[in-house]
Amino acid sequence: MNEFSDNQILNKERPFAPQTQKRRQTDTAVSWVFRLATYGILACAAYIFGDIIVKGAPVVFRAEAPFINVEFFTRSPETLVVFETQDGTERQLAFSDYSQWKKDNPGVEIAKEHTHSYSGGGILGPLVGTALLTIICIVIALLIGQATAIFLNEYSSKGRFINVIRLAIMNLAGVPSVVFGLFGLGLFCLFFPVITTASELRVEGWRAIQLFGTEKYLAFQGWGTCMLAGGCTLAVMVLPVIITACEESLKAIPMGFREASLALGATKWQTIRTSVLPYAFPGMLTASVLGITRVAGETAPIMFTAALAHKDKLPWQGLAVNPESGFFGRMLSQVFGFFTESVQAMPYHIYTVAARIPQSEYTRPMQYGSVFVFMVLVMCLSALSVFLRIHYRKKMKW
Amino acid sequence: MSQSDPSSTPSADSKIRGGQFRKKGFTVFGLDLQDFIRFFFSGNASLAIVILVLICVFLAREALLFFPDHHQGLKAYRKSGQEFVDFVGDEVNDFTILYSNANVAYYAELNQTSLEQDNLLAAYRAVQSLVKNETSRVRDRLEDHLDDLEDVVDDLEEAEEDLAKLDPAVDGEKIAELKKEISELNAEKQQLEPVIAELRPELRKASETILNNSLTWKFDDASLKLSEEQREKFREAVLRDEPDAQGDHPYVAELKKISAGKKAAAAEQLVDFKATVTALRDAAKPLKSLHSKLKRVASEAKRESEKFDTAPGRRAALLEGAAKTSDPEEKARKIKMAEAVMIKEPDFATLTQPLYAAIPEHKAIAEKMRTEVAALVKQLPEKASTQGARERLKHARKAERTFDSTVSASLKKMDKWNHDKRYSVIGSVTAFIFGKDWVTNSSWHDFYGLLPLFTGSLMISIIALVVAVPFAVSAAIYVNQLAPVHEQNLVKPAIEFIEAIPSVVLGFFGIFVLGTMLRNVSQVEWLSWVPGFPMSERLTILNAGLLLAFMAVPTIFTLAEDALNNVPGAFSENSLALGASKLQTVLQVVFPTAMSGIIAAALLGFGRIIGETMVVLLVAGNKIKIPDFSEGLGVIAQPAHTMTGIIAQELGEVDNGSLHWRALFMVGMVLFFISLAVNYGAQKILIRFQKV
Repeated sequence: MNEFSDNQILNKERPFAPQTQKRRQTDTAVSWVFRLATYGILACAAYIFGDIIVKGAPVVFRAEAPFINVEFFTRSPETLVVFETQDGTERQLAFSDYSQWKKDNPGVEIAKEHTHSYSGGGILGPLVGTALLTIICIVIALLIGQATAIFLNEYSSKGRFINVIRLAIMNLAGVPSVVFGLFGLGLFCLFFPVITTASELRVEGWRAIQLFGTEKYLAFQGWGTCMLAGGCTLAVMVLPVIITACEESLKAIPMGFREASLALGATKWQTIRTSVLPYAFPGMLTASVLGITRVAGETAPIMFTAALAHKDKLPWQGLAVNPESGFFGRMLSQVFGFFTESVQAMPYHIYTVAARIPQSEYTRPMQYGSVFVFMVLVMCLSALSVFLRIHYRKKMKW
Repeated sequence: MSQSDPSSTPSADSKIRGGQFRKKGFTVFGLDLQDFIRFFFSGNASLAIVILVLICVFLAREALLFFPDHHQGLKAYRKSGQEFVDFVGDEVNDFTILYSNANVAYYAELNQTSLEQDNLLAAYRAVQSLVKNETSRVRDRLEDHLDDLEDVVDDLEEAEEDLAKLDPAVDGEKIAELKKEISELNAEKQQLEPVIAELRPELRKASETILNNSLTWKFDDASLKLSEEQREKFREAVLRDEPDAQGDHPYVAELKKISAGKKAAAAEQLVDFKATVTALRDAAKPLKSLHSKLKRVASEAKRESEKFDTAPGRRAALLEGAAKTSDPEEKARKIKMAEAVMIKEPDFATLTQPLYAAIPEHKAIAEKMRTEVAALVKQLPEKASTQGARERLKHARKAERTFDSTVSASLKKMDKWNHDKRYSVIGSVTAFIFGKDWVTNSSWHDFYGLLPLFTGSLMISIIALVVAVPFAVSAAIYVNQLAPVHEQNLVKPAIEFIEAIPSVVLGFFGIFVLGTMLRNVSQVEWLSWVPGFPMSERLTILNAGLLLAFMAVPTIFTLAEDALNNVPGAFSENSLALGASKLQTVLQVVFPTAMSGIIAAALLGFGRIIGETMVVLLVAGNKIKIPDFSEGLGVIAQPAHTMTGIIAQELGEVDNGSLHWRALFMVGMVLFFISLAVNYGAQKILIRFQKV
């Protein structure tokens, strides 16, 4: 304020005098400080991207056709065996290849063999797992989130109930992801009901209810560590994001649409179905992409509910089927078996290769390759959601 | 959303057939289809409440069961006398800190004189081992061949000796045999020699290639720097170092000799120091032996107590087994075994009797040791030639004071101690919240104290906030107020884009890049004024804090930018009209008006940071200990563990329903309430100051 009053005294005679040179200089200097801070943040981001791209891209891309490291995308992580043959050439093979190689070359003497866990093969398993988890999560979250948003925007009137709901959503958004993990573990993995036979019953008392007239029990013993539990946990976590985004897209639709429809005698639901939802669709699409972006990157909630560090099979392989049951029984048990498989997941895989194995020249391709692929995927999704938002905002103008 | 409800249209019109305002369709309990649809949607919406309640229930279900179990454990801890023994244990621990500081100071002083030579030798060893590793293939082969050659030569000598002993007249046959052998051995030797002669230059060449690589001469330790001349000598020494080389290169040998000589001379100088340190160690011997003696007593009592706790369970299991077996003999045996299970509570008064008996002994020992230690610490040299030793001596003196007060406290506590004293329920709660140790799977006693985890989380969050807020708010001011529109449209999405980087990727970056980078930067000399520099660890509070700051920037930026955006345009227009410059307007009018929103943004950023898991799990170093604040701000260079990290790390490994498991749920509950409180606070601030 001091400078301000100085200025006034100085320019007493000329109230509309231009600002002093000194004033302008400080202004420029301070704005440069703000500008530098802004670009500093962007520089950090650029450095992180750059580092991962520079070190990760060579793992994924190849100089000759097909230009992509196919093996990296078509195999699951395995132990990497590094060994030297007697003639001094060094070879790196994934464990299954190594066994095969040993069978094919029985005479060759092997020197200096050492293994690196999780560093061989590719990342097919984690990719598939992440995709499945994300799909399950987004289907559940979109169904519930959509309905909630419709209620909040179309049906609700001001009152206590709505305040409580809004408060709950707001608080849900702030809960740490690891707490969602604990919650998912407690509810989905260890409590939710399943129908089992007596031999697989792990609980007693009121938590095991014999179904009338059968040998089966309805047991509140949880689904175990599986993708359904992980997907539900993630869905709960992402719910506030989806609700907010869906509500926004509903809000953007002009009131006139509804009023016109209602004036023509349509019921409330007809109005929503024909005059609101079709126009909200793009916004909902954006919301789901945004939700996928959030969910795909999360690790903590799936650490105890769904993910495994190592798994040989893909989730749909080797499902146990009881041959005695009928067609529907088999179908049902197969579907349920599929959803109760545990999976590998990209973020958990990255955690494993970052934290549990030491850095060396042999493990680095897997480490950087996984991170690169994962980051590119998530970034593409994020960019897609930004693009969709801008695109539809421009297109939908009433 | 105050639309007119279609169901409340006048009913008179509904009688008109085919009219637009038809009557309601079917109803159940007076509710029609529209109402059901409405209930469906409101039901979905209330799911948010249900989920929040369920989270509370499922956290609380496990977490609240923690306290009874914890209380039980603490009761056993007191009853068995472990608590008593830990009073002595505290003294021993404090003394150990004192002693190790004095000891390290001594060695720092001792090695100080030969530091130059030791550093050079360390550099030499680093290069040597690198070269050895890289050339191991050739080197191993050469070594094998040299071994073979040695064997052959030995055999040859032996054979020749034998040959000389034999009398040609008598042992003609043997001589022929030996001669044959000798010629064979000679042939072998001739075969080996050229191979070796070939391998030697090969090894030399391989070594030279590595030595020529400038990376070989870059050391992890920045203080290792070699002159051109020294490098040349080391190069010679490494090249000379073939598998069959005898002794060291003269230069290396000389270095070793000088180093040893200087150390010996220094030891002579420091003989008093050494004597003091040894005397210190000896002074603690009685206390240490008393401690281990008492420890055995308490462990025995603890075992008895555990036996007693599990007895009913074991008995029930045996009886159940007996009920199931049909063989009467087996049944009788099992019932007998079940009856044999001791269900009577062990007599802790007898078990802990030796502890009470040890009080006077301990008092005598502790008082004596206290005076001895005080005297000895006074004898420690006042001055030291190295910075490290001075620091250590300072720490040792401080540790002496701590030790002294610990002894007084322990003596008092022991006098009052009673194994039968009730352990209050509140005591078990405070033992969790203010407990200084988180020790699990120990053979002594498991402690579940939140404090080390909480301080870790808090420190990391504070660092992150201190770094993130200025950057994020500056960026928000710049983007919202100062930048031209086209720049706004580029920068804003770019910063928001950062939010999409998965946390595990950032954690990965922290381990692989930032950690090493920070450590290298911290070793730069002119930065040594920064607290905590130079850092010895890669995974530290600072590293995690910086990454979390980066994560929190987009959150704080977006919210702060919103807050600035919400400031009515008239404010800045008025200010500008009064002749204030753009910057004056921004800093003195717009910014203060948006202050509440910015504070709320920082608070929400804090909520996001303290709940973040993967980055801290990967980067914070995971050391469960309250950071040592004696170094002031330098504490940021230490590793720590966090509340989120401990859950993620340990939950996968513990038994469902055990005390440890419940402790982790309890930590989760604390986190949950912290996040609720932060959220609530931010909302309150926003609402309170919203009306400008």
